[in-house]
Amino acid sequence: MVDHVFTILSIALIIPISLFLGVMYSFLIRKLSARFQWRVGPIVRMYGDLAPVIGSTRIWQPLYDILKLFGKDALIPSTAHKRLFTWSPYLSLFFSFAAVLFIPFPGLPLLSGTPYSLIIASYLLIASILFTILGPAASGSPWGAIGARREVELFLVAELSFVASLFVVAVTKGTLVISELAGFVGSIPMMLVTALAGITMFAAMLGKLHIKPFDMPEAECEIVAGPYTEYSGKLLGTYFLAKVFVLYNMVALFIAVFLPPLSSSVLWLPLYVVAALVLIFLLAVVHVLNPRYTIAKALMWYTKIIVPLVIVGFIAAFFLRVVA
Amino acid sequence: MSTHIKILKQVIQKYSSPMTLNYPSSIDKKRMYSQIPEGLRGFLERDEEKCVGCRACYMVCSGRATKIFDTADKRTVQVFHFRCTYCAHCEECCPEDAIKLTSKFELAVTDRNDPKAYVNTDLKMLSCKACNKPYLPEKMQKRVFERLSEKINPKVKGVVVEDYHKTEGFCPECKRVRGVLLDTHTKKHIWLEVV
Amino acid sequence: MKFESDPTLVDFVRTEVVPEGTSFRALHENRVAVRINAEDADRLAGRFMSRFNARLIHETAVDMEVEGFDMVYIYDFSKVKDRLVVVLEARISKDDPSPPSIAKITWQASWAEREIHDLLGISPRGTPDPRKQFLPYEWPNAAESGAAPPPPEKGPSGPQEKWIPLGIAPNDAYATLIPIGPYHPGVIEGQTVYVKVEGETVVSADIKTGFHHRGIQKLIERRGYHKGVFAAERVCGICSAAHGLAYVTACENLYEAEVPDRALYLRTLLLELNRVHSHLLWIGVVADVIGWKTGFHLSWGIRERVMDIIESITGNRVNYGIWRIGGMSRDVSKELAERVLPAVKALKAEMAQLLPEIAAHSVVKSRLVGVGPLSYADAFDGGAVGPVARASNWRIDVRADNPPHAMYDPKVISWEVVTDEGCDTYGRTLVRVKELLVSSEIIIQCLEYLAKTTGDIRLEPKVIPVNSEGIGLNEAPRGELVHYVRASEFNMNLPQAYRIRTPSYRNNALIPKMLVGANLADVPVVMGSTDQCLACTDRFEVIREGGGASQSMSWGELVALGRRGRFGRV
Repeated sequence: MVDHVFTILSIALIIPISLFLGVMYSFLIRKLSARFQWRVGPIVRMYGDLAPVIGSTRIWQPLYDILKLFGKDALIPSTAHKRLFTWSPYLSLFFSFAAVLFIPFPGLPLLSGTPYSLIIASYLLIASILFTILGPAASGSPWGAIGARREVELFLVAELSFVASLFVVAVTKGTLVISELAGFVGSIPMMLVTALAGITMFAAMLGKLHIKPFDMPEAECEIVAGPYTEYSGKLLGTYFLAKVFVLYNMVALFIAVFLPPLSSSVLWLPLYVVAALVLIFLLAVVHVLNPRYTIAKALMWYTKIIVPLVIVGFIAAFFLRVVA
Repeated sequence: MSTHIKILKQVIQKYSSPMTLNYPSSIDKKRMYSQIPEGLRGFLERDEEKCVGCRACYMVCSGRATKIFDTADKRTVQVFHFRCTYCAHCEECCPEDAIKLTSKFELAVTDRNDPKAYVNTDLKMLSCKACNKPYLPEKMQKRVFERLSEKINPKVKGVVVEDYHKTEGFCPECKRVRGVLLDTHTKKHIWLEVV
Repeated sequence: MKFESDPTLVDFVRTEVVPEGTSFRALHENRVAVRINAEDADRLAGRFMSRFNARLIHETAVDMEVEGFDMVYIYDFSKVKDRLVVVLEARISKDDPSPPSIAKITWQASWAEREIHDLLGISPRGTPDPRKQFLPYEWPNAAESGAAPPPPEKGPSGPQEKWIPLGIAPNDAYATLIPIGPYHPGVIEGQTVYVKVEGETVVSADIKTGFHHRGIQKLIERRGYHKGVFAAERVCGICSAAHGLAYVTACENLYEAEVPDRALYLRTLLLELNRVHSHLLWIGVVADVIGWKTGFHLSWGIRERVMDIIESITGNRVNYGIWRIGGMSRDVSKELAERVLPAVKALKAEMAQLLPEIAAHSVVKSRLVGVGPLSYADAFDGGAVGPVARASNWRIDVRADNPPHAMYDPKVISWEVVTDEGCDTYGRTLVRVKELLVSSEIIIQCLEYLAKTTGDIRLEPKVIPVNSEGIGLNEAPRGELVHYVRASEFNMNLPQAYRIRTPSYRNNALIPKMLVGANLADVPVVMGSTDQCLACTDRFEVIREGGGASQSMSWGELVALGRRGRFGRV
């Protein structure tokens, strides 16, 4: 009984926490890439006499951008498949939020102790991305169609590396429950395999989060807004909110799988934050340093570099776990 | 990969000093670049003391920003900043050096009828004694007379000045009509010169 | 410096180049005007191209009121004789204005002939592409305009078919028609490129301009010579120096011009500063188009410093407004030159370090190498100019062949023409990167001269004679730019005709050729690689102020419009 109450309380608590952290992560990516590009970016402490007019800080800028969209009319093109077009953003948001509940946060194990929680979390994330493909494909716009097509192509390779890297860890540690990953201490070769999986997971994150050079689904100069071309108002805002949760999920899942102790106890919270910041910093650096690949070259990059790496990792993990 | 690292170095160098400036608070800070240069051509200012309303700026204005409005008692020389191209052609052509393009650059207004968008100079007009029509700004007449008396051949100066005072207050049309009556034929000083 | 012409050229043209001509007139500065029979035009074009390796600069027409139209063909013979430009003129009647087309001989004239048809209603006989150039395709022809509108067409042959002469039926299910433009984030200005894609591969492409034609030629014709320079500068916001210089060169061509040396150096200085900022802008735009915001900010960060230098020299940031017929209106003082000099040197060092790094970036290379190929033969026939032609290993540069009224004398200023053998977008990038360094070298030399000497910058303007012709050639950052002015036969203040042929006008026409076979993701890169400037291509816009109903809106009205909802609720 106490357990149930605690779980419900922690679910109630994770909603603001995940939103806060997701917004913070997107703010950090924006701010860091701005500073790397010799720009100012969203201002942390407002200067001069502008503070009374527009508030003393713009840390919440990513959230404001989303909230603004909720105040606008949503247009639905006459060529669209209306039901799919309208419901896709909400389903995408629902699945990305549902994934939050299966990934532990320091002090809040949530539902991560459920059997097969690793698979559940990763599939919820996949479902969320699936609906960012279905909605645009139903919009009837050529840009949306091309964006969705690119998203599918990227999804295939990025998702393959993502799931495979998770399974490398799962095989190494012999469990599919996220909360059990922490209790396992492996030998040095196992750590090496885990580190390799971490690298491939990072590469998969680039594709899933549309970090450059893999942002071709929303390549503005080529295909306008890509999948989001026909979306406006609340529907677009919902998509962006879903993206914020996906960002939080990816970071949280990365830490939960590859640095499992950090998300086990509330005492680890400072280190958890440091790890998240480092991850975000790396994402921002990659984002800043690269132009966009064409979709064909991106597929080539994944299939030539990341997928073989994952396969090597998988074989090594299998060897270590089963044979040795 | 090596180019990535080189560019990362470049990028990190400038991390703490972004190119963008906080506006307006960093405008007056002294920086190597992005400050207002000395010779910037911005907001036009007209010296009301010097301007005589000669229309030279109106004639050369390529954007038709300068306009002249004549009413019964005053001439208004106007520059409308929404149309000004800051070419400083009027500054170049002004015979009285009354026009100066300053380095003021914050010219935005939200309403086109805002008085800040206009530079007006009002000049008193002379009305013709005979036909009562406005014909020339008072200052311009004075200035033209001064210039004329500086440059005129001293031999004929007396006659010309005398004639000038005789016809003072008539518009060019009325002056022409009264030429015989007042004995102010324009060519008569040539005869004087010959003698 | 006095600009003199070679008196023997008329004889050379009469005996060797155009024996068919009926009258020969030496214009100033090695330009020769030849009057020919209109029927000879296509034959002559073929001969010029094959025997003299001449280049068509522009084809246009002038309305001579009751006397008919004058067809004007301007050819560049600078590879044969120093600075020689031959202007062929043919009078045609207004009753049946159909001279033979020269676009069927050399494809590069095709846009010019379409434009002539749009502007004056002359329809060249046998032109390969008789569609509208600047007017909408649906625009009625001159003959139809007075008559009742045609009945609406039935069935599938709607306006769409008029827009897409791509050779593929619109019903083809596997090919998707994608409109890039009129307003598209990859290309900031208004034009439509229709690309037909299968998967993501472009199978055919077509281009349509005319979304902001602004009538600047007419505006200059009605403003007079001295005011026209400010309108000419505003043809384009990026290469305003090039247009200003081409304008004053054209007007100074009308009479025996003399320009003080110091003004020539000033002009070179400004033109090269302009080129530096334009090329930096281009590198930024291409970086942005391939999705690299950092590259964009790196190069625009440098560009901002160039703009500051320009601002402190001229007083304005974009449209300098210091070009005058017969000189310049504003001098660079010794102190200013000495202050700018170290800044330019630092800039050059920084560009020499940073830009090759950007060009060598592996992902950048993977996006640019082999994209948008344009062979030398295609470039020659299509009339490519500027960096696009030079990247196809074609050594043309107006500054070397037929310099404008600025200081490009190789004896005084050391510089070189940059070419590349890449024939692709990466080659165009390398050409521009190298040109940036050459330009900054020229700037340093000019500043050194200006810091050392003093002198006049402007001579008293002479009276511009009636019945004369002037051609202002200039190497804009995007390529060869032509201003053609014909003085009126009776009015000393107004030109009879003013024609501008901009570099983008030529290079944009080649875009469909480069696009075929490209990936859809590369379309904006290829379009960007010509450094297209649509403001140049479409020219000026006049918003009428006053008159009947005012078209401008007040702040309150704008706010009300912005707040109005979809159904008009406030």
